[in-house]
Amino acid sequence: MGPSSKTAHYAVIGTAPSAHTASAAQHARIPAPAASRLSRALDRMFVWLTVTPTALTMLLVFGLPLAFSLYLSTEGWSPDESLFGGQFAGLANYDALLTDPTFIGSLTLTLGYTAVTVLAELLLGLGVALLLNLDLPFIALFRTALIVPMMMTPIVAALCWKLLLDPDHGIVDYFIGQPIIWLGQPWLALISIGFASVWQNSPFVCILALAGLRSLPHEPLEAAAIDGANALQRFWHVTLPLLRPYLLVALLLRAIFEFRAFDNVYVMTGGGPANATLLLSVYTYQASFVQFDLSLGAAASWVMLLIALVACLGFVALIGRGSTR
Amino acid sequence: MRRRKLIGAIFAYAALLALLVLFLFPLLWILGLSFKTRMQVFASPPLFLWTPTIDNYVAVLKTGDFQHAFMNSLLISAEAVLLSISIGVPAAYTFARFHFAARGMLFMSLLVMRMLPPIAVLVPMYVLFAKIGLGHTRLSVVLAYTTFSLPLVVWIMRGFFEELPRELEESAWVDGAGRFAALRYVVLPLVRPGLVAATILTLLLAWNDFIFAAVLSTDATRTLPVLMASFSGDVGVDWGSMTASCVLVVLPVLLFSFAAQRHLVTGLSSGAVKG
Repeated sequence: MGPSSKTAHYAVIGTAPSAHTASAAQHARIPAPAASRLSRALDRMFVWLTVTPTALTMLLVFGLPLAFSLYLSTEGWSPDESLFGGQFAGLANYDALLTDPTFIGSLTLTLGYTAVTVLAELLLGLGVALLLNLDLPFIALFRTALIVPMMMTPIVAALCWKLLLDPDHGIVDYFIGQPIIWLGQPWLALISIGFASVWQNSPFVCILALAGLRSLPHEPLEAAAIDGANALQRFWHVTLPLLRPYLLVALLLRAIFEFRAFDNVYVMTGGGPANATLLLSVYTYQASFVQFDLSLGAAASWVMLLIALVACLGFVALIGRGSTR
Repeated sequence: MRRRKLIGAIFAYAALLALLVLFLFPLLWILGLSFKTRMQVFASPPLFLWTPTIDNYVAVLKTGDFQHAFMNSLLISAEAVLLSISIGVPAAYTFARFHFAARGMLFMSLLVMRMLPPIAVLVPMYVLFAKIGLGHTRLSVVLAYTTFSLPLVVWIMRGFFEELPRELEESAWVDGAGRFAALRYVVLPLVRPGLVAATILTLLLAWNDFIFAAVLSTDATRTLPVLMASFSGDVGVDWGSMTASCVLVVLPVLLFSFAAQRHLVTGLSSGAVKG
């Protein structure tokens, strides 16, 4: 049961509609048939008229800035110059980046942070989904309650955690019994921002996994039970392989979003202490809007973009393979 | 057998309860703080029982900053949702139903754009909006949000359109309805769950975003998350009104999401899983 095993029905514009007489139109009170020339012209241009606004918006508001950013990254450019008034600098910005130990540190930190948080979200999300899949009284209540963190504005969630982890008045340190300065020490700060993100985002994995669990066919599990497989074996050899497409999507979506993590760091640590939580997004933000070196920021964002693009193409390839099976 | 089942259920409930504490206690504590006076907030040991006060909420709702940011958030989110639904839904329909040159490529590039880190376009957007005179306007933030909600709308709605039998529109066409009329009067009413899901998800994107609003807006056009982030510098001053603002920011989307929870889950899983 691949998630997109259904076949789509496509039509070529202008083909004669098949002779179905059951009239949906009559039920739906459509305005009188307008066989005017205008309406036929509109029909002929339907594809063009519907797709162009979306394509044009994306091209102008997203594509154009993207192209401009590539241009910026090869220039020495400052905001007070005219748009194309910069000095051509070739790959100098990229060179500066890749020889900057702060950037390299930020890059490895981001990859490690992404790997660990995504793994934690997957494990926690899947575990919670298995629990929520049980048929128990009041389970719907738990299902609703556990998605609350996911809906929260990330900035607000991070602010809440900052208060909860406060060394003087935070409730976490009260329960632990001694003041721990969570956000003031490199490793603890990194763990704290990662935890805040896992707390907020594992419900998303949980929702996907739960949707997967509820759509699983019963037969393979029953067959395995009859063959004498215990619960653990059934989970490992039957449920998990069937859930694979769902978990794969969760994995890749979460990886893409953790890779660009910004809000939790911005509020909780600002990249500190001593760059311990300086993820790539924060590095790029600081380069662009604190040091106001827009060219360096553009180069950094293109490095991020290329990494995301590779991950994304992998995603598309994997999904594509899933849907052909 | 029955006894084993009972023990299993007890363990399951214990685990669920532990998870509930992990996921909800932090929020309940914050909610509690918002109903405390300054003395109560900083009481040591922390107060678990107290007489609640709504003074913090009154104070927050009275401040001009909060009212202003709330209106900005509301307007920007509504406009972004309206814009991306009204141009994204027809496009999704065409992607689902009609063959045309470059369809596959266009659809893929939409998906890819959704995946790229937003900070990559942030710097140039900031520069370009300033150059064409849209710097620091609400419109610039709305346009920025539209670029990341459009791919989402197209992605989710295409899945819903593909699930409809195409005989429906075909018979409408036979009856003389134009393509637009058939979409409006026959198809759209049938994908209402999809529209609800797409609306909520784009609303969440716009309401919850911080980084675009932070860079593209100014004091006059800043949204709630930007206002909230400005508090993070001076934690330790006024936790009461800070937590009250937190609650007020989250509450609208939370209520909205609960009201449409079923559709939301469908949308999230269909939008994410169907390729």
